[in-house]
Amino acid sequence: MPDLVQLITAADPARRNQALAAACAGLSAGDLLDQCARLDDFRRRSENLYERVRALFFLYAIHRFHLPERLASAAAPAGRRSLIPFAGYEHLLQRRFEEALDQFLAVQQAEGPSDAISSALAAAYHRLGFQTLADQVRRSVRSVRGNQWMFRMGHPADHPLRLRPELCQPHPGDGTYPILRECTPVRMDLTHCGWSDIFFLGMDYPEGAKVLNVSIDLGVHGRDPAPRPPVEASLRVIEEPLLRLASLDLGAAADITNLAEVFDFAKDYLGLLKAAVIAAGLVPPGIEGSGQSLAELLARLAGRGRGLEIVSRVNNIPKGSRLAVSTTLLAALVSVCMRATGQAASLTGPLQEHERRLVLARALLGEWLGGSGGGWQDSGGVWPGMKLIEGVPAGEGDPEFGVSRGRLMPRHRILAAADAALETRRRLQESLVLVHGGMAQNVGPILEMVTEKYLLRCADEWQARQSMLGILDEILAALRAGDVRRIGAATTRNFQQPIQTIIPWATNYFTESLIQQVRAEFGPAFWGFWMLGGMSGGGMGFIFAPEQKARAQTHLQELMSAGKRALQHALPFAMEPVVYDFAINERGTEAVLLEGAAALMPPAYYTLLGPALLRQERHTLTPARRAEWDQFGAACRARPEWRGVAQTLFEIMLPRGQPEAAAGQSLAALLEQHGFDRLQHEQIRADLKEGRIGLAQNRLPASAVIEDAPAAEVADLSAPGPAAARWAERGRAALRNGELAVVTLAAGAGSRWTQGAGVVKALHPFCRLAGRHRTFIETHLAKSRRAARQAGCALPHLITTSYLTHAPIAEFLARQHHYGYEGPLHLSPGRAVGLRLVPTVRDLRFMWEEMPQQLLDEQQQKVRDSLRQALIHWAAAAGEASDYTDNLPLQCLHPVGHWYEVPNLLRNGVLARLLAERPGLQYLLLHNIDTLGADADPALLGWHIDHGACLTFEVIPRRLEDRGGGLARVNGQLRLVEGLALPREEAEFALTYYNSNTCWIHLDKLLAVFRLTRADLADAPRVAAAIRSLAARMPTYITLKEVKKRWGHGQEDIFPVTQFEKLWVDLTALPEVDARFVAVPRLRGQQLKDPAQLDGWLRDGSAAYVERLCDYPA
Amino acid sequence: MEIKKAIITAAGPAQRTLPLQTLVDRDGVTKTALRILIEEVRAAGIEEICVVTCPGDPPAYAAAAGDPGGRLRFIAQPAPRGYGHAVWCAREFAGESPFLLLVGDHLYVSGGRKRAAQQLVEIAGAENCAVSAVQATHESKLPYYGAVGGRRVAGRKGQYEIAEVMEKPTPTEAEQRLIVPGLRAGYYLCFFGMHVLTPAVMSLLSAEVERNAGPNLPLSPALAQLAQRERYLAGELEGRRYDIGVRYGLLTAQLALALAGQDREEVLSGLVELLARREMK
Repeated sequence: MPDLVQLITAADPARRNQALAAACAGLSAGDLLDQCARLDDFRRRSENLYERVRALFFLYAIHRFHLPERLASAAAPAGRRSLIPFAGYEHLLQRRFEEALDQFLAVQQAEGPSDAISSALAAAYHRLGFQTLADQVRRSVRSVRGNQWMFRMGHPADHPLRLRPELCQPHPGDGTYPILRECTPVRMDLTHCGWSDIFFLGMDYPEGAKVLNVSIDLGVHGRDPAPRPPVEASLRVIEEPLLRLASLDLGAAADITNLAEVFDFAKDYLGLLKAAVIAAGLVPPGIEGSGQSLAELLARLAGRGRGLEIVSRVNNIPKGSRLAVSTTLLAALVSVCMRATGQAASLTGPLQEHERRLVLARALLGEWLGGSGGGWQDSGGVWPGMKLIEGVPAGEGDPEFGVSRGRLMPRHRILAAADAALETRRRLQESLVLVHGGMAQNVGPILEMVTEKYLLRCADEWQARQSMLGILDEILAALRAGDVRRIGAATTRNFQQPIQTIIPWATNYFTESLIQQVRAEFGPAFWGFWMLGGMSGGGMGFIFAPEQKARAQTHLQELMSAGKRALQHALPFAMEPVVYDFAINERGTEAVLLEGAAALMPPAYYTLLGPALLRQERHTLTPARRAEWDQFGAACRARPEWRGVAQTLFEIMLPRGQPEAAAGQSLAALLEQHGFDRLQHEQIRADLKEGRIGLAQNRLPASAVIEDAPAAEVADLSAPGPAAARWAERGRAALRNGELAVVTLAAGAGSRWTQGAGVVKALHPFCRLAGRHRTFIETHLAKSRRAARQAGCALPHLITTSYLTHAPIAEFLARQHHYGYEGPLHLSPGRAVGLRLVPTVRDLRFMWEEMPQQLLDEQQQKVRDSLRQALIHWAAAAGEASDYTDNLPLQCLHPVGHWYEVPNLLRNGVLARLLAERPGLQYLLLHNIDTLGADADPALLGWHIDHGACLTFEVIPRRLEDRGGGLARVNGQLRLVEGLALPREEAEFALTYYNSNTCWIHLDKLLAVFRLTRADLADAPRVAAAIRSLAARMPTYITLKEVKKRWGHGQEDIFPVTQFEKLWVDLTALPEVDARFVAVPRLRGQQLKDPAQLDGWLRDGSAAYVERLCDYPA
Repeated sequence: MEIKKAIITAAGPAQRTLPLQTLVDRDGVTKTALRILIEEVRAAGIEEICVVTCPGDPPAYAAAAGDPGGRLRFIAQPAPRGYGHAVWCAREFAGESPFLLLVGDHLYVSGGRKRAAQQLVEIAGAENCAVSAVQATHESKLPYYGAVGGRRVAGRKGQYEIAEVMEKPTPTEAEQRLIVPGLRAGYYLCFFGMHVLTPAVMSLLSAEVERNAGPNLPLSPALAQLAQRERYLAGELEGRRYDIGVRYGLLTAQLALALAGQDREEVLSGLVELLARREMK
């Protein structure tokens, strides 16, 4: 039996780099548990950080991917009923990982291994692994020389920095203070480095961390006259003892007068500027929480009575460009602050190499402070031209020595003319079309996946990583040879092979379609695709024969815009796609000192701060301000580039009325159109305000007795039993007789899938299955097709929709010709809609303070707390329980819960029509859009028919991540209970089974619950009354959901909003409903709620399971 | 190496009256600060002293110096062009000899038997090289001093081989270039205001004066170059320096002198009485 510890400690790289999966291949569950015990013992003893981390990831992977499969096939029924101890879960939430592990291991020891405990152990090992790595990066960032002193300084009197005298002298002529302005290019990654610039990777595998990074000037094609360094940071002294920060692109400015506010990152849109001020040492991190005065600190820095103004600008480059705009801005701000305080000796001009490295170190610190996490190449724009950035093994004298194999800080080698001739650079510029496809996605989970796969040495991924290093060498060689076409071939191969082998999610349907269309249009003149970073869909590069570039720019804009229009309901686009103009910047970051008449901030500064200043009496302004306004006036009159600024200022001060009203009408029209019940809405608002309903009131009374479902009352169909064949035969017969229809619930907003982006999850081409990206709907139809073919029947498939999803699904299905589905396919449009409300402070506090919360890593938690405080202020200021209308109209509405979706079938006539066509229809299979394993399984259908229940719900054994209620005996009655109705959080942890929300329905029995018959379906008023009557008996839950608000250039804010819903599973609480419960295999019942689950879903056999159930059209 | 000459700089526009202030010295005698400094120099066995002043100041300084005996010269710095320039003004006085360099706005109180200047001159004599007196100083004071980086000299307590010299470094630079093993975190070796320098410094300053016609010519760059050219040590002395130019600097220096001298008891009881009365109010 292999010893997995040796895989970690082996001196021989071939053995050390062996894949864990291969080593586990021949091991039984018992062997694996034995290996786990050894690995756990090893990681507790080992003093080497990376050995510990690798052992933690091995343990995670065994419990996540290898053990569950073996446990499922092993006959260990007792173990499978294990419950996850709530105390362990609480430890996990509080980041007490060791304590959590001890709790989970104790249960495993006492009750034997189980799927549930393995899920908890996997989560704990995974988080502890990342925590250990994050702690190490944090320690390294703090211990970089030049950063350390800032953590020691705790009092203004000890502030060792002084502003350079050049900045403190007002101009003798006009009294204005000089402005120090830093202009910085952004960076692009010419090779896509395989995410090897992630700190964790670079610090363990410095030999593999290599990036070819290019500094570029940028402009938006058709908008900006010429490319220029897009990032600017300006600093000057002001005669007020405060810190004035302004972000011109985000339209935010603030006068900060106390220290606590400087550390309040998420209070406004100035978090990045604050992080830079801290990381640059102007307000050193050590002073946080000291209670000292900011004015005193500034007096020390700039002189008594003085303060500083810092202004940032990124020339409206959209977010998600994959050009590291945010990190570059952080670096530019850090740089200007360091120049101003003499920490960089060069006041103006470019920086010297040691100064650039210092800026990098501080930018890394700023990233950590702000809770974000760029890679180490992201400040590449500080350096000039093209450079190779490489990981460096830690040597004696480095703080990392003896702790990690690599240093935190990489090495930059600027390419000389021999490496890439000027002519080659010019040709590259003439061939490359840079674009932003409009998608802005969270790449955080991707970076975790990459780290995890590296540490596990997953065979394919490891091989891919090695091949990427070869591609980098090939690109370097092509650069030396001046062969741009070869570069295009290499970057395309890089994207299609290693990048997607490591992270399949790096590509998506939108990108693939674009590439395909470009290839079709340009043929051999299309030299290649170039993946810029993180994920595709945002910033991307297309390489063309130079003579085609102009046409390609125009054509790509059209293609992307058309692609966005076609997919905007399916994929989360944050903005309209754009094409960039770019030029390689051979200077790197540079600063200038603007004095006298030239000492003006960028024009947008005056349109942002001007209105408030212009409303003040002139004599109340400081002489410097008055002089500045005079200069501003002169510039507007005389300088061509300032033309129009005064007009803009005028427009802002005297806005034209009315366009907003159109949006208001549109919302009203939508409400009218979708049957909004104003009376009910007002009642909900009144109840919310009075505290009669709310998150706390969702719960069952504290006296409710919640017990786990007795084993005898749940039929275990997770493995074939003796009667399986009989049930399957009964089910097949029913299928053949046309007794079943499938109902897919697709009315919801899928909030978790896109954090409230308001796209239709059902249409998301979420994964490549059977060789192509497939949408959820396509997959469900493919399962129905297979079931129908096997049974030799036409299986009707219904898709429920809502105000949000109906039109896009209808249009999409029409465009896709119903995905070739042979059976009847009908949409069931929704008949109810709610209007979202601004949440109450009480509910926000309940959710964030009363409910158990996952504590984040120290700095991220600080940022989150700050954001939550800001949102509580927002709710109070916007008006608790007032209508949420400050967004696109569709984003203000909400579906009212899936309880309504079956009654809608009765109301909208879809069921009646289907019954008219197929009178033999007797059963419905109802499932969520994200329950991808649910299909018309004949055995389950047979079981349902055999037992004659009204409803048969499928449940699965609970894992740690399965939150939201389960199967319980509530006051003696077996029923499904929602998580938000459970009186105590820990009650959920006593429930073995989680609800998959897949439900088999006996149609006539269900109609009877509504006191209806088939014949009544034609009687609309009677149906409506029946639904209203039953709805009144269903509990109404108040929930808080996330909704995205998009603004500016790809910016997105996420707000919590209140909505109400009624849920289907509550039918099981009605005494007249005969509900039964069957346990099904996990792969069948699990739901895909979050894109971050996709990678695990692909790796743990779930995707393969779904593929086996599908019959996609050829 | 024998040190027979000393230069005291007192030409800074802000410090020109400081050496003329009177204090009660350790021996209970009222003296000017300049005279106390001259006695410090003479105790180190140096008789040839040059004071660099602003033009027009020598008569007042001569009066303030009293009659120290030996040879006392005054040289005027024609315009205030920085510390390095002031030292360079005394180049002819120094000639080809090593010299002790002091600043006119600092007083020194030794913690041991030997005075600070004497300790420094003895080190320079024994090691036959330039030596700057240094004191471990907290990073918050870096904006006020020149600082050095280097490593300890094996077997010589409190002596360091200087590798880097920086004038008023930021702590960021200091952390990267001036960390000296053995010092507490956040402490750096900052100049004590007292050096024994070799004639090479004057040539370096001459070159700098020729190159830089600006208004400020500091000494530290020349010392940084000195460290690259020849052996140059830093020495921690037994004693403290007192900058009489800062707020309450003169008072602090006076208290330090008094508490180290024969009137210690009297001053202490005066202080206690002062404190007690303050407490009773």
